[in-house]
Amino acid sequence: MEIFIQQLVNSLSVASVTILIGIGITLIFGLAGIVNFAHGEFLMVGGMITWFLVTSGLNFFLALVGAMIFVGVLGFIAERGLFRFTLEQPMNGFIMSIGVSVILQHVVIRVFNEVQKTIPDPIGKVWVVGGIDIIAMRAIVVLLTAVVVATTYFGISRSRYGIALRASIADQDTAALMGIPVRRYVTGVFVYGSVLAGLGGALMIALFPITPFTGSVVIIRGFAVSLIGGLGNVGGAVAGGLILGLVDGLSAGYGSPEWTDAYSLVVMIVILIVRPQGLLGGTLGPRAT
Amino acid sequence: MALQITGLRKEFGGVVALAGVDVSIELDRIVGIIGPNGSGKTTLFNVVAGVHRPTSGRVLWQGKDITGKPAYQIARMGIVRTFQQAMSYRGLSVRENVRIASEHGRSYGGAARPKWDSPDEILAFVGLAGLGNEMAGSMPFGNLRRLGVAVALAANPLLLLLDEPAAGLSENEIAELMELILRFPRMGIGVCLIDHDMFLMSTLCERLVVLNFGTKIAEGPPTLVLNDPKVTEVYLGNEI
Amino acid sequence: MNETPHFPEPAPPVGRRRDIASERPVTPPAVQSEAKGRSGWVKLPSREETVVAIVAVVFLVGFPWCNPGYRFLSLAITTGFTSIALYGLGLQFGQAGIMSVGHAAFLGIGAYTAAIMAGRFGLGFWVALPFSALFSAVIAGLIGLPSLRVGGQHYIIITFCFCALLNIALTNGGSFTGAATGLDVGSIDPIFGINFDQLRNAYYLVVAVLLISLLVTYLITNSSYGRTLRAIRENEALARAVGINTGLHKIGALMVSGAFAGVAGVLQAYYLRHISPALYGPFPSLYLALMVMLGGARLLYGPLAGAIIVSFLPEILKLDPIDSRIAYGVGLLVVILLLPGGVSAGLLDIYRWLLSKRRR
Repeated sequence: MEIFIQQLVNSLSVASVTILIGIGITLIFGLAGIVNFAHGEFLMVGGMITWFLVTSGLNFFLALVGAMIFVGVLGFIAERGLFRFTLEQPMNGFIMSIGVSVILQHVVIRVFNEVQKTIPDPIGKVWVVGGIDIIAMRAIVVLLTAVVVATTYFGISRSRYGIALRASIADQDTAALMGIPVRRYVTGVFVYGSVLAGLGGALMIALFPITPFTGSVVIIRGFAVSLIGGLGNVGGAVAGGLILGLVDGLSAGYGSPEWTDAYSLVVMIVILIVRPQGLLGGTLGPRAT
Repeated sequence: MALQITGLRKEFGGVVALAGVDVSIELDRIVGIIGPNGSGKTTLFNVVAGVHRPTSGRVLWQGKDITGKPAYQIARMGIVRTFQQAMSYRGLSVRENVRIASEHGRSYGGAARPKWDSPDEILAFVGLAGLGNEMAGSMPFGNLRRLGVAVALAANPLLLLLDEPAAGLSENEIAELMELILRFPRMGIGVCLIDHDMFLMSTLCERLVVLNFGTKIAEGPPTLVLNDPKVTEVYLGNEI
Repeated sequence: MNETPHFPEPAPPVGRRRDIASERPVTPPAVQSEAKGRSGWVKLPSREETVVAIVAVVFLVGFPWCNPGYRFLSLAITTGFTSIALYGLGLQFGQAGIMSVGHAAFLGIGAYTAAIMAGRFGLGFWVALPFSALFSAVIAGLIGLPSLRVGGQHYIIITFCFCALLNIALTNGGSFTGAATGLDVGSIDPIFGINFDQLRNAYYLVVAVLLISLLVTYLITNSSYGRTLRAIRENEALARAVGINTGLHKIGALMVSGAFAGVAGVLQAYYLRHISPALYGPFPSLYLALMVMLGGARLLYGPLAGAIIVSFLPEILKLDPIDSRIAYGVGLLVVILLLPGGVSAGLLDIYRWLLSKRRR
């Protein structure tokens, strides 16, 4: 039982990072139709900034906030400077995001270096819950993610902005005709998604080492999660993250580890072919004919 | 040799767009389909042209059953449709738009001469002479409509399904369009058209078919149909 | 039969934009009659195109005579077979509008097929070449089937996933695929007494295949088949409405693209003499997409230009691999935002602008 709970927390902490990325991807695609290939790199940059700040002496949680701000600004610049021009042609935006991802990876290599980065466990404690030892940091990752998910979810379903956002996802033109500043929402969603990616990166480096190429590993899982959950569907992204985390945990425990990635890839291909809007209900994107 | 539609039914999920429609269209004639928005007119075209498969019913063309065949096959058999939104290959030149259609439409087969010597001839016929090199995407709407007709002609049709060809055109342009459409029966091309402009429909069409909520509620010569109380009731407030 | 219309001529439009992809000579084209759907008429090259072609051939053939040295000659060979793969991608994207970020997978299929044929069955280069091309084409066609159901962006992700899956399969393929270490490949059997271990001969072999690729690309682009693909790219619904079997043509374009990549893969395998899964993963695929966008997918020399820029510019500017990749990324952004047709389209526009200035 103890091992199971520990495994559960472990898997959840991994799934948390994926969920954070997944939410960003699903919101951005659902609203703007932008498939941002560089989203994984946003996470990686968040992790790198965290590493940099922590190794310069800053407290982890302050560094975490710093990373979130940094990546948020990065996302803002990317949206305003690049993706904004391709809203009519999402394909171009996608190809541009490939360029952005390449640039970010190699700028990071330039500024830091290729070697993997890691930070010591920021909390370093072990909590004893109900007689079971749980690594505090992992639990915190899960808790923080849960808070973010709850905030996002209620924000979208209850607040004025959230409702306007969902309207825009459902029918962009009508929303615009009703006076919703859709473009500003696109920017807002993009920044929000980037901030979440930064948070994900910071949390990730608290748990695992990261390299400049970590982004491309994570993004596939992020896409898988958004597709399973349905593009534009936040709750679905969470469900998708949990499902994928479960699959991962099982495959690590019982299957062969090399094929772990393969499972999410196959799942993605199947979903893309059979139900492109996602499993649990979502959108085909704002320009779907 | 005709188009025979029997009991055509099309459901989209819970919505019944066509509720069992019977229509016969002889060639070399102009038949009109009218009805309020949502009555199933475009759906009828879509099903006949192969864009959608009917839920039930049959479409016979020249004696052959073409129900449910894919759109490109039906086009090659001589039924060519135009679209409500003026469609074109936007990034290609006007001439290429027409040329592509002529290379894929109904084959001329055997010893039959092609009707047209070149895409430019078709362009001249619809009033786009000299515009062959223009990019289709940069043309004004009226010309786009003409291009749509040119493309359809280039595909060597026996029957043209024109979906709201007058929508968005000025009075002059509509008059020109009417002149153009009147030529088709003499060229051996039957026409079936959908539109809301009652003057156009009553002048051009020998016969009108009226749809409402996916069913045919009237059929006959325009003067009779447009005075039929069932029809005027459906079109309350519409000037004829 | 043809009556002259008697309604007024439409007013001449303001400003003429030129459609680069479909410039036609002055003589009116003929409409085909009986032979429907075959390659039909191929537009003959204009004077300018012929001149450029001659220059290109002279440049390609004459390159080794400029004493480039071992390094540049090897680089040229690599650029050569990369271009061949790019021409495939250029056809499927530039003509049919189907982008892929998994193209390296087909290079891999070609390369591994050749390596396994040589290693296990003792079949050499000359047999592997057509067979790998065919095999890659078939797989490309199969992978292309989803493109008939889903939109462009979704399909791109599918291609990425397929490439990643293939990578995993190759890495875990045990002794059959050589696993992560990969496979060794022998040398090309000499024909007509030409020994291809000599760098210069290898270069000419690649150039020969490249020229064939250029010719095939030209023929496809300027024939009815190319027009059909462009119609599908521009407006698929309209294409179906005029009788085009869009599904068949899309799969066909993807198969041709796969064949090009397969051929390139065989050349690569026999040149490098050792292949491994890392060469054919998602990253290389991304770089291929990048190269074809940079150079321009629609013009005849676009893919070649893209490959040359990406391969040679860092050498000439003495950029290290990291800076050069940053440059590629930036270049891609610039191209998408400012020069959507790629460098080749940009050069063409400059040429036309200069020409129009001269005519004043």
